[in-house]
Amino acid sequence: MNPGSDDLHVLLGAYVLGGLSDDDHRAFSEHLRTCVPCQTELGQVSGLPRLLDLAGPEGGPHLAEAAAGVAAGLPTEPDNERVTTLLAEVSRRRRRRRTWITGLAAAAAVAFFVGGAWLGPRWTATTPPTAGPTATSTLPTTHVEAAAVPGSSVRVDIALVTRGWGTQLDIDCEDMPKEGELALWVIDANGRATTAASWRATAAGYSKVTGATALRPNEIRSLEVRTGTGKVLASART
Amino acid sequence: MPLDDEAVAEIYREHGPMLRRVVWRATSDANRVDDIVQEVILRVWKQAPDAENLRAYLITTARHLIVDQHRAAGRRPQQAQLVEIAERDSALDRALDQVLVEEALGRLQTNHREIVRCLYYERLTVAETSVRVGVPEGTVKSRAYYAVRNLRVILDEMGVTR
Repeated sequence: MNPGSDDLHVLLGAYVLGGLSDDDHRAFSEHLRTCVPCQTELGQVSGLPRLLDLAGPEGGPHLAEAAAGVAAGLPTEPDNERVTTLLAEVSRRRRRRRTWITGLAAAAAVAFFVGGAWLGPRWTATTPPTAGPTATSTLPTTHVEAAAVPGSSVRVDIALVTRGWGTQLDIDCEDMPKEGELALWVIDANGRATTAASWRATAAGYSKVTGATALRPNEIRSLEVRTGTGKVLASART
Repeated sequence: MPLDDEAVAEIYREHGPMLRRVVWRATSDANRVDDIVQEVILRVWKQAPDAENLRAYLITTARHLIVDQHRAAGRRPQQAQLVEIAERDSALDRALDQVLVEEALGRLQTNHREIVRCLYYERLTVAETSVRVGVPEGTVKSRAYYAVRNLRVILDEMGVTR
């Protein structure tokens, strides 16, 4: 760069907007012939005057003395109200999506239930063989079977679905007690047990419920299905 | 996955007022402003675009919605003969660009905006602007330089690339 070219470089602004004295204009034009950075920069901003003209001879409302008139004529109800309306619509559309997702997950669970059959009284952690990549790639799912404790004949299949907020537990039970309350307990690595679902026994001894826990699948050490009085009917360990 | 409520509300609070002004000035239809702005935000919510430039994405989306609605209105038989679609679309594009330029000027730093007004809109010289604003001529020149650069950046951010 030539000595003093920094001073010349800065003239680009007024060169584009107008208002340079004849001397400055001449100096910058001369500088421009040999300064590649200035040529490049001018190329980027040379379209501005045409755009500025769009805003009208006064430059539009922001340049007018009273800038308050920008949104004149626009109804101005409280902004929070519009946020509320917006979120209500988000919620409505989210429900629509959720119905679809749940349907998909349920379909995957059923497919496993049929295809995988019962593998015996032990912990099995498998990927559903029949659920294609569509279901499993969006919702990583592990299926387990809780083994019935001695003296109990229940059959429990639990799908652990990884969610952003923790784990969704899709529970399928058969040959359950026909009355009383039932609950799914989740036990973490520290032995802390929390209820993830509770439901009422059905006359058919069959139920299909969904529970939830904040724990991630890998933080769950074991799962237990208990009666309302605390008797363990089935359990599974990781 | 879609964004959560808080993220949606935040986008609305940050960009809603600007979108409302733009849509209002482009359509002059108060009834449609809220609908269009809401739809724009909902699309962002649904698509959670990995947009480096959210502002431009929002404005482009609004532009499409307005154009689509214009076209839909044009298909109504009683209005079809009024204007050719292309002609009407370019008029609409022009109106939108006008609004965006005005919006961009509004986002400019006050002392830069002042320089643009004096030099460009009022056709004052650097010397006259220096007197009007009460700063040395060298300051007028450097402010003009940064005003032009920043204006370009703001317009790029809004997706006005001409």
